[in-house]
Amino acid sequence: MWKFTLRRIVTMIPQVLLLSIIVFILAKMMPGDALSGMVDPNIDPNTIAEKREALGLNDPWYQQYTRWLGGVFQGDLGQSFHFKMDVSELVWQRIVNSFWLSLLTLVLTYLIAIPLGITSGRYNDSWSDRLITGYTYIGFAMPIFIFALVMLWVFGFYLDLFPTGGSVEPGIEPGTFEYIMSKIYHMLLPALSMALITTVSTVQYLRSEIIDTKQKDFILTARAKGASESRVYNRHILRNSLLPIAAFLGYEITGLIGGSIFIENIFGYPGMGQLFLNSILLRDYSVVTALVLLFGILSILGALLSDIILSLVDPRIRIK
Amino acid sequence: MSFLEVNDLKVHFPIRGGFFGGTQGYVKAVDGVSFSIEKGKTYGLVGESGSGKTTTGRAIIGLNKITSGKVLFDGQEITDLHRASKDIRRDIQMIFQDPYSSLNPKKRVSDIIAEPLRNYEKLTKGEEQKRVQELLELVGLSPESSLKYPHEFSGGQRQRIGIARAIALKPKLIIADEPVSALDVSVQAQVLNFMQDIQKELGLTYLFISHDLGVIKHMCDEIGIMYKGRYVESGTKEDIFNNPQHIYTKRLVAAIPDINPRNRSQHLQFRQEVKKEYEQAFNKYFDSEGLAYQLQPVSNTHLVALPEKG
Amino acid sequence: MSEPILEINHLTTSFRIKDEHYAAVDDVSLTVNKNELLAIVGESGCGKSALAFSIMRLHNRAKIEGEIKFKGQNIAGFNTSQLNALRGKDMGMIFQDPLTALNPLMMIGDQIGEILLIHNKNLSVNKRKGRVIELLNKVGIPGAEHVYNQFPHELSGGMRQRVVIAMAIANNPELLIADEPTTALDVTIQSQILDLMKELKEESQAGVILITHDLGVVAEMADRVAVMYAGQIVEIADVYTLFENPLHPYTRSLLNSVPTANEEQSKLHVIQGVVPSLQNLPREGCRFSARIPWISESAHEKNPVLHEVSPGHFVRCTCYKDFHFPDGQKEEHNHVIS
Repeated sequence: MWKFTLRRIVTMIPQVLLLSIIVFILAKMMPGDALSGMVDPNIDPNTIAEKREALGLNDPWYQQYTRWLGGVFQGDLGQSFHFKMDVSELVWQRIVNSFWLSLLTLVLTYLIAIPLGITSGRYNDSWSDRLITGYTYIGFAMPIFIFALVMLWVFGFYLDLFPTGGSVEPGIEPGTFEYIMSKIYHMLLPALSMALITTVSTVQYLRSEIIDTKQKDFILTARAKGASESRVYNRHILRNSLLPIAAFLGYEITGLIGGSIFIENIFGYPGMGQLFLNSILLRDYSVVTALVLLFGILSILGALLSDIILSLVDPRIRIK
Repeated sequence: MSFLEVNDLKVHFPIRGGFFGGTQGYVKAVDGVSFSIEKGKTYGLVGESGSGKTTTGRAIIGLNKITSGKVLFDGQEITDLHRASKDIRRDIQMIFQDPYSSLNPKKRVSDIIAEPLRNYEKLTKGEEQKRVQELLELVGLSPESSLKYPHEFSGGQRQRIGIARAIALKPKLIIADEPVSALDVSVQAQVLNFMQDIQKELGLTYLFISHDLGVIKHMCDEIGIMYKGRYVESGTKEDIFNNPQHIYTKRLVAAIPDINPRNRSQHLQFRQEVKKEYEQAFNKYFDSEGLAYQLQPVSNTHLVALPEKG
Repeated sequence: MSEPILEINHLTTSFRIKDEHYAAVDDVSLTVNKNELLAIVGESGCGKSALAFSIMRLHNRAKIEGEIKFKGQNIAGFNTSQLNALRGKDMGMIFQDPLTALNPLMMIGDQIGEILLIHNKNLSVNKRKGRVIELLNKVGIPGAEHVYNQFPHELSGGMRQRVVIAMAIANNPELLIADEPTTALDVTIQSQILDLMKELKEESQAGVILITHDLGVVAEMADRVAVMYAGQIVEIADVYTLFENPLHPYTRSLLNSVPTANEEQSKLHVIQGVVPSLQNLPREGCRFSARIPWISESAHEKNPVLHEVSPGHFVRCTCYKDFHFPDGQKEEHNHVIS
């Protein structure tokens, strides 16, 4: 098991390297560079050119890349041109915010998906099933940013039930109970908006798992044993259908990253997603490359997590 | 000289594992199998699941990579069938077990049967159609069936389509891998009879792979019994059924249900005796790894895997 | 003399396909006595499995008409909880494929333990485990203590089927239904499983229904045999009569098409045509007539019924009197099937 995990992480390295090269080149290909938006237009173009030379921005991309990579290995992701601080420090602040938002979203996703999926799968082709699948189709069709905007307008502005930006009420002492409650309060609407959309794939997955398991031969065996309907469902169908869902968790992380970019921007939530979009707009490419790299690593780790969970819950899969 | 000769055939599959996914060992699916088939005869390869009988058949036709050993077809070496000449490749065809999954459900029967023709022969549309019609007639299907899809046929009819595809190129050797195992008794009879008829008509040689000794006895001239990748016994039909020497063969023969209910208790007793012998004499017939020994001749035609004397 | 455990009278099981009901089991009557093994034999689609499932009422959406009397009680009208009290307790079932019949995520011990628990909530955990081990030993599984904590995929096919059998006999049922119990197994394993079933039957004196397509298995196992074709029983007799004096054309044809390991036949008999599908069953007349076209119309009955030709030997339709195999049988296979 540990061997497997370690092996997967080792094989991750070339993937991540390749990813970083692509990201780096793409960042370089973006029109303009860090100096374009930063420097006073009245400064002599020669000075800017000198500055460029001094920063090594005129070197071939692979020289710049190796320099950057060398830094990454020492834990130095470079400087943010915009925020004038270490990228690593900047990203760390945002990661914590994004982590809590993602966690809450995940919890809500499963809180919605499990009862809906079970109802839909157990009573398939009933009215409640049709209602639930109808919802999932809307969820699939609805772009997350439009839905989030609607939620923001309805619950944030019109009904005024939730804050419409930030991650915490300004001026509260960090660490207090009030501070934590304020954080959760700020996360609730963005998390719910995201969960309501991302949950639909889990609902569908669980529904089809249950319908599939219902027709398995061992369900017939259970019935032939004289098991009551509730026992058949709880002991055999549900357990067997929920396991793949649990293993799906790792992949959910990938979905969350994509979703958070929209959600954090719409709700003005200071997380990685918001930072990412801002950095692109500001040509703050050291931040962009660092974040894309991070997203990539998280996705790969997510897939690994899924494999590990699956091997833990399914006795047929044993990882050596 | 025999038509098909297999010499010390080995097919080993690597087991991957370890830190870098290297080869940790081998599954010896086929481990030193030798036999030969005379032209126009039917050779039966018998064994239970995991015996390597299917892998042997698939290796001969190039579907599994041969680890070592030699395969000679009509005097020519075809161990690496992909490099063998096109003529030889078309001479060997295969019939698969499951008539439900071995035919592409999205293709019409005419396309399924014409596929080997398209691969090996450049025919005009008209010629191709004519050949397909001839083949359909040969396997006893109506001309209209060429426009239908596989799901519109019964199991027996589908297996006939599979046979039509196999004989489209007028092959000389057909490897039939459990061709009737998925079929009902009466349909099985239909396919078996038909296979015998086209054998006579086209002068075919069969390598008939099956777990069903009843079918093997009905179809085959010579028989090889496999167990865990090795031969335990080979010989003519009479050798195997009337004079089985290896305990495993005896066990297989004893396990066939007797169709006469009057023999029931007698047969049960026989079975129990063989079972007892199997348990007591296991070490005499199998080596320390539980595998069969090398074959030793007991008569001109009859070989049995026994430890070397002395 | 013999004590019936199960008595089925005019059982019809039909399925709804596109607003119409089609009978997969059509007017079947039979009895199973204590310590008797009744084999139901036929080819795929003849309704033999549907019949087995109907007795236990395992079909979800089947319409069941007629009487199923189990120990004198008509269980055809039972509701689910009444049935659940019988299933797994008084009636056990053995399925065809032991791999799919076991829950892949549940330990063997738990799966067998479950059937004990369902029918005896008061059994202590320890007693239950003891009984499971006892059952595993009884069906000949070596290392029962170890197997108890194993998962189905860790066992071989034969061992799995023994587990399924252990489950079926856990509560000493009086009726055991085995649906093609050895079809998925190797020959040597098949004979072991069949011998085990016979042993268990003798010991428990249970009535057994054995569903199979394999006439060899029938000859080895059965006391009585019912032959089914297209949803109906076409012949029913004790095993010796059936093999020595088969009367119905279908039974005779079937016996002639088996490549037995004992007899030399150069050509097997081929039954003309194909088994009609459920939707295309002839609604009246002899259902087998289309497959023996050389027998004249007048030989068949208009509404074929079972005739008792000798005590306990029943044959459907009068066509058996005139039946003969066609001349020139050798050319049989040349008949175009389409």
